[in-house]
Amino acid sequence: MTNTRVPDVRPPRTVAATAPAVGGDRPSARDRGTRLLAALFLTPTIVGIVVFTVVPIVGSVVLSFFHWNVIDSPRWAGAANYREVFTDSTVLVSFRNTLVFMVLAVALQLLIALTLALAVNGRMPVWLRSVFRSAFFFPLVLSAASISVVMKYLFNQDFGVVNWALGLIGIAPVPWLTSENSAMAAVILVYVWQQFGFSFLLFVGGLNNIPKEIHEAASLDGATGLRKHLHVTLPLLSPTLLVATVVGVINALQVFEQPYVLTDGGPGDSTRTVVMVIYESAFEQLRFGEASAVGVLLFVLIMVVTALQFRLSRRFVHYQ
Amino acid sequence: MTDSHVTRRTLLRYGAYGAGAAALAGTAASWDRLTGADIPGRDDGSLVVATLGPAYGPEAIRSLTEGFKKVHPDIKLRINAVQATDWSDFFAKILTQIAAGTAPDLVYVATEGVQLFAQRLGVALDKWVKRDAAELREYFADVHPSLVESMMYEGSLYQLPVEFNAADMYLNSQVLERAGAGFPAPDWTRDDFTALLRDMKKSSGSQFTPYFWTNRLWGGVVPWLFANGTNLLAESKAPGGAWLWDGFYPGAERQGRGGGYRWTTPQATDARVEESYDYLASLIQEDLCTRPEGGNGQNLIGVFSTGRVGVTPAGGFWAGGLHLAGMRPGSFDVQFFPRWRTQRMQFGAAGYALLRTSKKQDEAWEFIKFAARRDTLMRLFETNQTTPARRSMLTADRYREIGPRHWQVFYDTLDKFPDTGPIPAPPQVAEVEQVLLKHTGTALASRRSVGPALRRMQSDLEKAMERDA
Repeated sequence: MTNTRVPDVRPPRTVAATAPAVGGDRPSARDRGTRLLAALFLTPTIVGIVVFTVVPIVGSVVLSFFHWNVIDSPRWAGAANYREVFTDSTVLVSFRNTLVFMVLAVALQLLIALTLALAVNGRMPVWLRSVFRSAFFFPLVLSAASISVVMKYLFNQDFGVVNWALGLIGIAPVPWLTSENSAMAAVILVYVWQQFGFSFLLFVGGLNNIPKEIHEAASLDGATGLRKHLHVTLPLLSPTLLVATVVGVINALQVFEQPYVLTDGGPGDSTRTVVMVIYESAFEQLRFGEASAVGVLLFVLIMVVTALQFRLSRRFVHYQ
Repeated sequence: MTDSHVTRRTLLRYGAYGAGAAALAGTAASWDRLTGADIPGRDDGSLVVATLGPAYGPEAIRSLTEGFKKVHPDIKLRINAVQATDWSDFFAKILTQIAAGTAPDLVYVATEGVQLFAQRLGVALDKWVKRDAAELREYFADVHPSLVESMMYEGSLYQLPVEFNAADMYLNSQVLERAGAGFPAPDWTRDDFTALLRDMKKSSGSQFTPYFWTNRLWGGVVPWLFANGTNLLAESKAPGGAWLWDGFYPGAERQGRGGGYRWTTPQATDARVEESYDYLASLIQEDLCTRPEGGNGQNLIGVFSTGRVGVTPAGGFWAGGLHLAGMRPGSFDVQFFPRWRTQRMQFGAAGYALLRTSKKQDEAWEFIKFAARRDTLMRLFETNQTTPARRSMLTADRYREIGPRHWQVFYDTLDKFPDTGPIPAPPQVAEVEQVLLKHTGTALASRRSVGPALRRMQSDLEKAMERDA
């Protein structure tokens, strides 16, 4: 007797459920159900992103072509807001300040975080390591505004603890927040002190992921101390370094609270940042169109800088 | 059978999905959701009054609401104490509420925002003031015309002032004693002031600052401009206002009054402005005063009360603040701002502005009148956190426990110097203030930087004034 049964040529269900649909193949009922369920779960997130991210971004772009002062109806402005931005010395200075701030703050933040991560990752009792991790991360969970209020007192030229401490070693009082030469430095110090904990934690995690065997092999090959860090640790840590740099740069380009509370952008415009200009234009001077134009430019700047970082990372980042 | 046919099992599954989704949708639809209408007081018929939060604590709010309820049981009132660091922050939040469609009916507005609100959002109170003239006669008799005039815009009255603060000079008695200096005379001059600072510096250590001031529109560099007979913007008076002056003030007091202040042409490069900045720069160089730093003066209370600062400009509000900081009545005192070319001083006042968007304007007017009553202000300003606009409230009793000894200075700044005026606050005040603070910071870096910084200030002010507010 011959076998007259038609062989079942359909792929096993497990494969069908995970394989991508090809050409005109119709997805199975189970696929459709899974997709429906996935769509249901994703809907709240998608709605959230659309309502709270996409709509405001589109809204800002649209608003940047209008004059609007909240009280009266918006008036079409064309490119006038952008022209204003490119001719307003305060805005241009704020972009320069923000870029300077970004370069110095991120470099310092990464340097401190990496140095401390390497130190904490060395031979040290576990409990002490936990103490350092908590201590370095602690400022990050505090409000930037409240930290800045306290720092404003500490950096006060006449009554601040910082100058008092410097006085003990014979250094004359420094006008930290009231001199164009030192105000940006003070703002950067406060910002870095609060922010380096995040990079520090990333680096600690990254260092723990480097297999000990590689370091041991390097030691056997004669590598010591700094050479080992430069040629083994840093290349293996480069993906973490990239993440820390990208996040650090994006955060630094949006700095607001520290300069706003510490110096209010002064003296002059020496510590005025782009986000401060957006806030002042919109909420103090009621020029929402111009504020939106500055916001759009900042958005573009962040996109460009981030893209550049990823582009450059191809040369310097090594994935195991 | 192919996939194109729906099996019974699939049908049942989709049916179950459908039923589940319908049940979810039904449940969600039947839930009580939080909407804008759930915000307390919104759309519930209440008269909403926005006040500057830190200035109006829970006690003051209770006092206002309960007191108003007794007088007007038919009007539901809600005080919206907006938390803000200063007046510009407060205005920003109020404007955000207006943009969000939740505009209050009344807003507590200081001199900084009077013209901005009047021009854009406010309703003139003229018709109600004329209607209730008999009732208001007692109020105007008790309030200095300068305060009232500062609340006028282009001939109309927009607020009834309830409080004010003039920039007078507070002196630390312990520091005066240490310097062997007596309490200055009411007509002390700028040179007397400088000499006093030098004496204070000589008799104190390196951690001591004779004169401390904060860089802001009120109490910063502006009082020095006033004393030197100039201003940041050329000042003039709008026509009109006779309906008010003739109706409520005797001849001598209405002399020279108009329809409110006009601040128009910037004059930052005026020789007297430069001279005033030069003077402050010289004090900084001589280590007699601080470099200008932002803030609202709150941080100053601590250093003043511990004797690390000798002199600072502040208003009646500081009497309450220093008392809370533990200073006893004899340990500090207050004197007029020193004379230079003039002894014209500056003040800032505040009252309630009625918004055009309000649908309860008559009820709002009743609140404005209630808030300006003497008994209301007596309850509200118990702790001397400000200077009441009513002259009769400044009594020896009020200052016996908290000082200062020369408390009469607060109201005498208006009574004895009737040309004392409000800080320059045109509708473009936000930009004007920003430009002033920004360039004051750079101008006082050294004496050589005064001229260039003032030229930049002039250019920025011109730009700001050309802009529509």
